[in-house]
Parts: sequence; structure tokens; C-alpha cells
Amino acid sequence: MTAVLVVVAFAAAYVLIATERIHRVAAALSGAAAMVLLGVVDARVAFFSEKTGIDWNVIFLLLGMMVIVSVLKQTGVFDYLAIWAAKRTRGRPFATMVMLVVITAVASALLDNVTTVLLIAPVTLLVCDRLALPPVPFLIAEALASNIGGTATLIGDPPNIIIASRGVLTFNDFLVNVAPIVIILLVVFIGLCRVLFRAAFTYDPERVAALMALDERETIKDRGLLLRSGIVLVAVMVGFVAHSVLNIQPSMVALLGAGALVALSKLDPPEFLEEVEWPTLVFFMGLFVMVGALVEVGVIGRLGTLLTNAVGDHYFLASSALLWGSALLSGIVDNIPYVATVTPLVQSLVEAGHGARQATALWWALALGADLGGNATAVGASANVVIIGIAARNGHKISFWQFTKYGSVVAAVTIAASWAYLWLRFYAFG
Amino acid sequence: MTARKLVQPFPLVTPDTDAMEAAQTMAAQRLPGLIVCRDDGRPYTILPGSQVLRFLIPTYVQDNPGLARALDDEASEELCRKLVHSTVRDLLPQPRDLDELPVVDIEATALEVAAVMARMHSPLVAVVDDHDGGNRVIGAITVSRLLDHLLPERPAN
Repeated sequence: MTAVLVVVAFAAAYVLIATERIHRVAAALSGAAAMVLLGVVDARVAFFSEKTGIDWNVIFLLLGMMVIVSVLKQTGVFDYLAIWAAKRTRGRPFATMVMLVVITAVASALLDNVTTVLLIAPVTLLVCDRLALPPVPFLIAEALASNIGGTATLIGDPPNIIIASRGVLTFNDFLVNVAPIVIILLVVFIGLCRVLFRAAFTYDPERVAALMALDERETIKDRGLLLRSGIVLVAVMVGFVAHSVLNIQPSMVALLGAGALVALSKLDPPEFLEEVEWPTLVFFMGLFVMVGALVEVGVIGRLGTLLTNAVGDHYFLASSALLWGSALLSGIVDNIPYVATVTPLVQSLVEAGHGARQATALWWALALGADLGGNATAVGASANVVIIGIAARNGHKISFWQFTKYGSVVAAVTIAASWAYLWLRFYAFG
Repeated sequence: MTARKLVQPFPLVTPDTDAMEAAQTMAAQRLPGLIVCRDDGRPYTILPGSQVLRFLIPTYVQDNPGLARALDDEASEELCRKLVHSTVRDLLPQPRDLDELPVVDIEATALEVAAVMARMHSPLVAVVDDHDGGNRVIGAITVSRLLDHLLPERPAN
């Protein structure tokens, strides 16, 4: 009976999160509170259990990266990079878009997607203004690039952080298994941009002087801070790459990096905490408690057994279903609660494979589907919503269908390419 | 002291006044803003100087002032050219923000005027005379004029 009530409470909270009838933080906390009131969750289950509790590795990895971003933002390095790159193209529109897309994708692989688009969008609007180009195609391309780039690494997108923590996957696991296909997808995406946004590439030689007159060096607010931040960021990336060798969790690497930056930057707390999204962190905590309750009452265990029996050794079929299903759902609902819910199920399937690479590949199918599926619609990923908001504030309306028209094509092509990659790499040759 | 004693003649514009002309009036007479009247002379709203800047400076630069450092003088001139072919109506905030006006009656006390300015974050208030039911704007009180009256006189050194 308790299990049924837990499932009902979970479903109700999930519907509230998906439909946004109330704020998602309130919905997740209500769901968590229901689990406590049903007597399934107590302090031990919520705070101290690795299996059913809040995944503190995820929370503190996010917190550490948010602090790092807060400090990096103070340097003006993104404005510098974007203007420098646009000037290298001498104002050719497609080349400018390629540069901005690549910067966005690479930055998104290292930082949170929303932060990346928040940093790159204003300077994109400036570059487009100088070149008298329509900014909407550039902004849409950046949101899409951000979701593609963020797929590449463990820290690039919150679902990857959850997947890595639950699947005990390293930063290098993502670099080896996901980053290669993301690089290919980025190249494919650039080709798609050439076709999808071709109407935007009108070259006006007279406007080039206005772009070339921009002085990117002036955007660097504090050269000393930039140097110190750069050194710490490189050290953090080395820490991520070597975390399995050094036997230190990614969350600890991020927290150490954040601590070092705070100490070196001498910024005040409001400045180095500026980019910390407390509501997101609390949302994660509520979600973990909700999912933990399903684990605690055995629902996930039973579902896992059912799925394991159904899948048997048909891992490519399971991979395909996971990839396309995750993509479809992530295009409609927030991919974070979705991934938080299905990771215990995928974990059961992977464990049943006893380390077979065909079974482990299910993690990559989930990551690729959930991350890339966000491109499908205007509300599929937070970066999309943020870019549409920035465009509107600057007098450029992007409708749901305008975004979705481009996003759905990009999502379909990138998911199809990922499907082929998974098959070729993990299944085709045994 | 009432508004009657503090009020000064003030240039009036309408929503259809040329934006460049309005901005130049503001600059030439060192005014913190302008009073915008309807065609029948009743007050419509106040156009503070900061609202003109908000129109000129792109939102993305307002959000990220660091970008302004990358722009040269020529770019500043180009931004100011936005005023050409624009009217005061284009400079004004959305109509929903115009519900309440920084307007006082000619018999309002100095502190009443100060309260309206403070509440509405306005650098000036329009003064109206409604004795014949016309609600006519007869001038304005600037924050500097008001402070000059409210503050004690500085001792001469």
C-alpha cells in the first residue's frame, strides 16, 4: 500500500514539475515532503544513504562550477573571445556564426549551458548590430550549439553529472565515449546552420569597419584576475581528467577549484556567489529525495528486474529505445527530473550486463538522448528558454514554432547520427 | 511653502514631438527630464533623462556594461542617431507603467512634492492647476529646486 502511495505522490509531483503549474522547486520539495510524511524517508535515507539519499556529489559539483563561473564572468573573457573571433572572420556572416557556435559549444562543454548562453548572447547581439545582421538565427544557433557542446563532458550538462555519479563514470569515460561523437555532431550542425540559416548571411562590406572598430582588449576588466582564473581553470580541468588516478571525486575537484579562485580573486561573497543558482540546487535535492523514496519502497528494484528480463541481451534495442525515447521526452519535459528518475533503472540494466561494453553503452544512449533531445523544442532545454528571453528583451521575438522549426531538424539529425555512432562503436562488431 | 511658490516654467512636449528635438532641449537647458502633455494640455507623463538613455543604449549593453568599453566614439554617434525619425512616444516606457504620474497640485506642500518624487523615483514633478477643472500644466519642480528649498542654507565661509 505504501508503495502505491509513494508512486502516486511521485507521479503527482512529476506532473506538477512537467506542467509548471507551480514552480518546479516547490513541486520537488512538495514531492519530497510527501515521501517524508508517508514514512518512507527519514534523515538517514535523505541525507546519508548513498543509494536513496541526496547525491551530494552532484550538488557540490554544480555548486563548485557555479562559483567558478561567477569569478570567470567578472573577467570579461567571453566578450573578448567573441569579438576577437568575429574580427578574425572580417565580418563574413557564416564564418562569424561558425566562430560563435564553436566558442559556445566548447564553453558549454566546460561550463553550464545556461551560463554560457547568458555570457555569449549579449556580445552576439553587439556583433550582429555592428554588421547589421539579423541576430535571431545567431542566437538560435548558439542555444542549439550549447546543448550539443554540453553533451560532450561530465560537467557539460546537469544530466551528465547525475549519470556520471549514479553510473560511477569518470570524466575521461565521457571524453572517450561521448566527446568524439559530439565533435562530429558539431561539424554536422555547422553544415546544417549553413542551410537552415542561409537567409541570414547577407554580407555588407560597408559594415565591416564598424565591427573592426570594436576594441576587444577593452572588455577585459581585470587582467590579473583573468590570468589567475585561467590558471585555476586549467588546473580544474587537469583535475577532472586525472580524478580517477588521483582518487578524488569531480565534486571535490570543482570545490577545490572554486575555493582557490575565491581566495585568489579576493572578490566579495555577493560577487563569487552571483551565478550560484540556489533554486536549481534545492530542486535537485527534492528530486533525489523523491527518486530515493521509489528506491526505498522497492519500486525501482521491481521495475529494474522487469526491464532486465525484458531486455535480456538485446542491448542495441534497449539502447535505441533509450536514445530515441529520452530524446522525445527531453524535448517536451525538463531532462533533469527525467534523468534523475531513469538512472536507477538504467543502473539495473547496466549491472545485469556484468561490465559488458554493450550494456555500459546504455549510459551513453541516455546522455545523448536526454541532452540532444533538448534541442527539439523551444522549451526542451533551459538554454533555449534563456536565449528566447534575451532575444525578447532586446526587441527580437522568437516564437515557439520559429525555434522549434530549426531545433527539431537539428535534434532529429543529431540523434540519428548518435544512433549510428552507438551502433557502429558498441554493437556492430560484437 | 507650496508648489505655487516652487514651480518654474518648464518646456512641454507631446508624445508626437520629435525625439531628437526633445533630447536636445533637455541637454541645452540642463534639464533632468521633460513634461509630456496630451494634445489638450493635460499631463501625460514625465520623460526623465535616464529614459532617453535607456532608449539609446541597447539592452544587451545595459545588461553587460563591460561591452560599452569596446565601442568607440563613432559607435556612440551611431547609437544617438536612433533618435532621428523617432518621437517622444518611442522613448516612453510601456503604457502600463504610466498609470501613476508624478504630478502635484499647485497647492501641494513642499514635503508632499518630495514624497511624490521619492515614491516615483522621478527627478521632477509636473505642477497642475485644476481650479477651473482644466488640469492644466503650469510648470514643474526639479529635485534640485526642491532640495534647495528644503535644506538649511550653507554657512558662508
